[in-house]
Amino acid sequence: MASRVLLQCVRSLGRPSLRLSAANLAVRATAAPAAARRPLSFAADSRRPRWLGQSSIPSVGVLCRQYGDLPPLTLETIKDRVMYVLKLYDKINPEKLQTSSHFMKDLGLDSLDQVEIIMAMEDEFGFEIPDAEAEKLMSPGEIVQYIADKKDVYE
Amino acid sequence: KRSSAKTRPLSGAARVVKPIFSRDLDEAKRRVRELYRAWYREVPNTVALFQLDITSRQGRDKVREMFDKNKHVTDPRVIDMLVIKGKLELQETIHVWKQKTHVMRYFHETEEARPADFLSKFYRGHDP
Repeated sequence: MASRVLLQCVRSLGRPSLRLSAANLAVRATAAPAAARRPLSFAADSRRPRWLGQSSIPSVGVLCRQYGDLPPLTLETIKDRVMYVLKLYDKINPEKLQTSSHFMKDLGLDSLDQVEIIMAMEDEFGFEIPDAEAEKLMSPGEIVQYIADKKDVYE
Repeated sequence: KRSSAKTRPLSGAARVVKPIFSRDLDEAKRRVRELYRAWYREVPNTVALFQLDITSRQGRDKVREMFDKNKHVTDPRVIDMLVIKGKLELQETIHVWKQKTHVMRYFHETEEARPADFLSKFYRGHDP
């Protein structure tokens, strides 16, 4: 049903936008002297391909309603973002970084480094992680699991 | 000799004392982490507010250095006391009760290091 409404929306704004667009005005200006001879067919011919051309998204999306929200999270995107942020951290060697690598044992980080990493994750995903739960997150896989639990992302 | 015999088992065994805030080492470490978080988030605001000539990264490294200086402490009460002092410093920095010079005192820019080995002390003149 929503798709039908959308199609009607597209069709209804396809027509008035033709009158408003400058290209069409130029065509009409040139067509005006020849308008006496073949007004309808010329306009009809010029309308159809132009409407098909304008049915592509950019002009259509302007008058449709858009809601502001982030794209939905998936486990893959969470994992990609977490690994991206971790690779940017200068105390971690990006080659040695794996999803299951332990921060303290494998990567040789400090507890304060782990606090910094959790803070970077908070900034990335935009929600607070309390310290009681943050001190248990010791590898990127655990961080991904925790964020998926908090944000209700599952497969 | 008798007094040393009495104090020896007492100093070896763990004494039960009245805690300041945290009852065990884990709780004390949690307080330390919370304080570190607060300082970490505060450093860029401090650099902007006091118009310091350092970068945020240098500020954060300095915060880490101050925390690492007391890394070896294991007594929860001592840790609590250090956390309380850190919170005092943080409050003074946030509310701008300090001034630029007080914040820059952490960086010891114009201080000379005290001589550690015998010859340097000798050249400077013995200062006990």
